[in-house]
Amino acid sequence: MDNKMDKLIEQYKDIQIPSELDQVVEKALQKSRKPKRTKTKWIAGVAAAAVILTTSVNLSPAFAQSLEKVPVIGSVVNVLTFKEFKVDEGNYQANIKVPAVEQLENKSLEKMLNAKYLEEGQQLYEKFMADMEQQQAFGEGGHLSVSSGYEIKTDTEHLLSVGRIIEETAGSSMTTLQYDTIDKQNEILITLPSLFGDTSYVEVISEYIIQQMEEQMKADPSKMYFIDTPDAPMADGFKTIAENQNFYVNAENKLVISFNEYEVAPGYMGTVEFIVPTEVVQSILVSNEYIK
Amino acid sequence: MLKREPAWEQKIAEYVMENKENFYRLAYSYVQNKEDALDIVQDSIQKAMRSKTLMDDKAIKSWFYKIIVNTSLDFLRRRKKVTVVDDTTLQLHTQGVNDHYEDIDLQRALNELSPDYRSVIVLRYFEDLKIEEVAEILELNISTIKTRIYKGLKLLRFQMEDMNLEEAKQNG
Repeated sequence: MDNKMDKLIEQYKDIQIPSELDQVVEKALQKSRKPKRTKTKWIAGVAAAAVILTTSVNLSPAFAQSLEKVPVIGSVVNVLTFKEFKVDEGNYQANIKVPAVEQLENKSLEKMLNAKYLEEGQQLYEKFMADMEQQQAFGEGGHLSVSSGYEIKTDTEHLLSVGRIIEETAGSSMTTLQYDTIDKQNEILITLPSLFGDTSYVEVISEYIIQQMEEQMKADPSKMYFIDTPDAPMADGFKTIAENQNFYVNAENKLVISFNEYEVAPGYMGTVEFIVPTEVVQSILVSNEYIK
Repeated sequence: MLKREPAWEQKIAEYVMENKENFYRLAYSYVQNKEDALDIVQDSIQKAMRSKTLMDDKAIKSWFYKIIVNTSLDFLRRRKKVTVVDDTTLQLHTQGVNDHYEDIDLQRALNELSPDYRSVIVLRYFEDLKIEEVAEILELNISTIKTRIYKGLKLLRFQMEDMNLEEAKQNG
């Protein structure tokens, strides 16, 4: 579905803008402006003045970038807020928290993760600043906000799952989640393929998830997933998870498959996740070390 | 004394200049031809400039979209159900067999939705507006919008599926 919707959107954006548009707009504006050189309502004048005042206050260096260290958990391997990017200018709000993992013996893993987190944060921040400057240059009262944070999904003796959450709001909002799961004892980053002997998990898990989606839709008509069902056929709906689908392992040692907003469901469904019962994948697991 | 400087009309003019292409596309998505879409843009601007209904410039976006949507719908109502195809569209439809025809089907599926459903899909997905904004523009409550998006997407899928079947028949 996503694909088709993307195509439709693309086509919409491809609607050719005729060369006459400028002229038509220009004329319409001229025509309506001339006879209307009378008094504008005073209230509009005040509103406009107030807007100028607030924007000039906001343009002053109310922009703060702070460095903060907040220890989060007490176990040997730590996750902490390494860096925070903050922007607070009226309608423009950014709050980007960059997590860092520390005290891993495996320094190359630690470095790799932290470099990745920092880069994600930096990119988010730069994109936000560029968007904000562009909007401000046009003098429109735009609304733009981005906030990112992280969540320790699991922290047991054995496992640590860190999720990074990004929420961007411009016209509409978009939430993205990204997980990393670390084996704290062996200090390795767990990937989805590494949990299974071969790639058959893609099919097994997908099948289970589709079945769950169908059941949920049946049980609750307000729920909707982009899947092919008899009463709502969809040629290119969700079929399978990716080999490296976003996932984490929860504290009960269950595999949790996560989807970003719009990935498998309309935006109002938000981000969705499915806990895969271990029985479903038991026969194809490499071991029960992580998933029980 | 404060001057009424970037006056009301100035604000609208600026907003229009910046978003005229969006307005044109939105109008075009309803009427499907250049001349009428241009007329709608022109009418909408004049309505906006004459109107005094907007008091808060934060709301200018949904307010202007509302004018475009209403003007387009009025136009469709007056025109009834005659489908005019302009040269560009004709060309697009007659061009190459393979490269474009899935696209045409998508476009057709969308056009076959009733204006009620088309409005929500276009505003929500193509103009990327929030559900709340769509609700404001169409003067409907949020749950109605959600239902329409839900049904609209379903209808869209139905129609695309039908077309795939037709295609299969024709090809096979």
